[in-house]
Amino acid sequence: MLGKEHIERVAEHVWEIPKTFRADMRVPARLYADEDLLDAALLDNSLVQLVNTATLPGVIRYVIAMPDIHQGYGFPIGGVVATRLPEGAISPGGVGYDINCGVRLLASLASVQEIRPNLEEIAARLYANCPSGVGSHGQLRLNNGELDQVLHEGSRWMMGNGYASRDDLDRTEEFGRIPGADAAFVSDRARERGRNQLGTLGAGNHFIEVDEIAEVYDQATATRLGLFSGNVTVQIHCGSRGFGHQICEDYVSRFQKTARDYGIELPDRELVCAPFDSSDGQEYFRAMACAANFAFANRQLLAHLIRRSFEEVLAGKIKDFELHQVYDIAHNMAKIEEHEINGRSVRVCVHRKGATRAFGPGSSVLPDDLRDLGQPVLIPGSMGTASYVLIGTRAAMQQTFGSTCHGAGRVMSRAKARKMVSGTALRDQLRSRGILICAGSMSGLAEEAPAAYKDVSWVVEVVHKLGIGRKIARLEPLAVIKG
Amino acid sequence: MMSFEEIEHTADRAFRVTGHDMMALLENAARTMQALDGDGAKTTAERVETREIEVEGVDGESLLVNWLNEILYLEQAHQVVCEQFHIDDLKNHCLRARVETWECDRTYTRIKAVTFHNLKIRETSEGLEAEIVVDV
Repeated sequence: MLGKEHIERVAEHVWEIPKTFRADMRVPARLYADEDLLDAALLDNSLVQLVNTATLPGVIRYVIAMPDIHQGYGFPIGGVVATRLPEGAISPGGVGYDINCGVRLLASLASVQEIRPNLEEIAARLYANCPSGVGSHGQLRLNNGELDQVLHEGSRWMMGNGYASRDDLDRTEEFGRIPGADAAFVSDRARERGRNQLGTLGAGNHFIEVDEIAEVYDQATATRLGLFSGNVTVQIHCGSRGFGHQICEDYVSRFQKTARDYGIELPDRELVCAPFDSSDGQEYFRAMACAANFAFANRQLLAHLIRRSFEEVLAGKIKDFELHQVYDIAHNMAKIEEHEINGRSVRVCVHRKGATRAFGPGSSVLPDDLRDLGQPVLIPGSMGTASYVLIGTRAAMQQTFGSTCHGAGRVMSRAKARKMVSGTALRDQLRSRGILICAGSMSGLAEEAPAAYKDVSWVVEVVHKLGIGRKIARLEPLAVIKG
Repeated sequence: MMSFEEIEHTADRAFRVTGHDMMALLENAARTMQALDGDGAKTTAERVETREIEVEGVDGESLLVNWLNEILYLEQAHQVVCEQFHIDDLKNHCLRARVETWECDRTYTRIKAVTFHNLKIRETSEGLEAEIVVDV
């Protein structure tokens, strides 16, 4: 049983479960949180799940949980785990089923005052043009060859086919394409599930949200990102859909035996893994990269559909409604990165499960125009609450493998939320606050009620104080489209 | 007789399922998973078909996970809703089953995948029991 007595405070808002807590831990486990968030984390099994990740072969330095930590499966949500390459583990269950679930932010130069008279029509058009629900199908029908191109090229395929601009790609993590993708390691089933799902939103906590830039904390940085107080933005939160689910499922199932073959003992079967440099590890990594590219392409196509929706409603009515891309970030991924540990550069596989890359100024992987600034970080709140734009920091590079939080983090189970909240009442309540909701499922809406989440402003404030992300702007919702 | 109970889970959903033997556990787990997806698309169902499926695992737990994931795959890949699960044969962690599938315009299934998280099939005085976490 893990209790507060097992946790040491190592710095302001940094807590550590030492390696001695459990015999199978290879490194300590760290939580970045204030004391209240630590207490909240102790209410479910998330810290035990974090300790479990500290048993992965090749794990290096310490495993990390962000302030939005909550219980998941295998890894906790908000987990960051790096393994030393080439032989350290890669864990499909650690990345999770929604590979490269992430967030994209588009911004316009149009103000809320200009957009508001058309908001109902925009919401309705977004709901009609952007299919939602787990099994929903998009309008793009691809043959096997075209699908393989998407899997290898990600957003680049979208640019080649008129759905993306060069600027969109420059403002996407990894420029919208993870290198190393190889469709030879993708099952027919994954293709079957994914073929018609490009340009679809999915269900659960996925959404499209029209927001207002309510507050700017750093005028100079916000201006460089094209963010101005009072203007309208759009967030997209979704991932690799059934395609990614099937890739994860295929490899978690296969690794049930593989992990035994490698003599890997784990406290939870969802953590099954293989050495990164083994044929099994490489095959998963190359298939995962395909799913990551599928997700980048999916958000890109959704961005195209959103731009078209704005055009359909606003053309001829107002000026400057065009949506430019601020950034697109992944929060479920295993990535090959170089990090400095004890003064030496080390090549690692960083698993981020419900955590965001937050590279600081000077990072060579950022586009030229962002390199002196750092990477934009997008933190969506729960439905009906604020979202934040942050910027990556040097402190994140030094302390958290260049990572920060990914959202508010749940505190209430979905079952309890459904019991306590009526989806219809919630929709009406948000509408009375001027927030439009379009949703396919009222029980799904109830599960995502704001009361089921931590206060995102509190989580972001802790991240800002820790210095593993710096606040740039706050967004407030105007309309939410959900599956 | 089917018996299940939803278990509190912060991010996803979880349920406890029982069965007097492995066959009953597997059938009950499938029915439970479908019952959890309360917004099912049955109202738009148009045509029913019986499909025969075969699933295998390396042990009981992986058979259970693979069986449930097979149902999710059928629903999402073929735009159907699965009902009426009959396992005809079960040996050496392999099963052969018949599943009724209802064609529908659009699936509202919200479960993405069935996980192995802390999964253990336990023997009880009345048969078998398992707690299953699903990703939503």
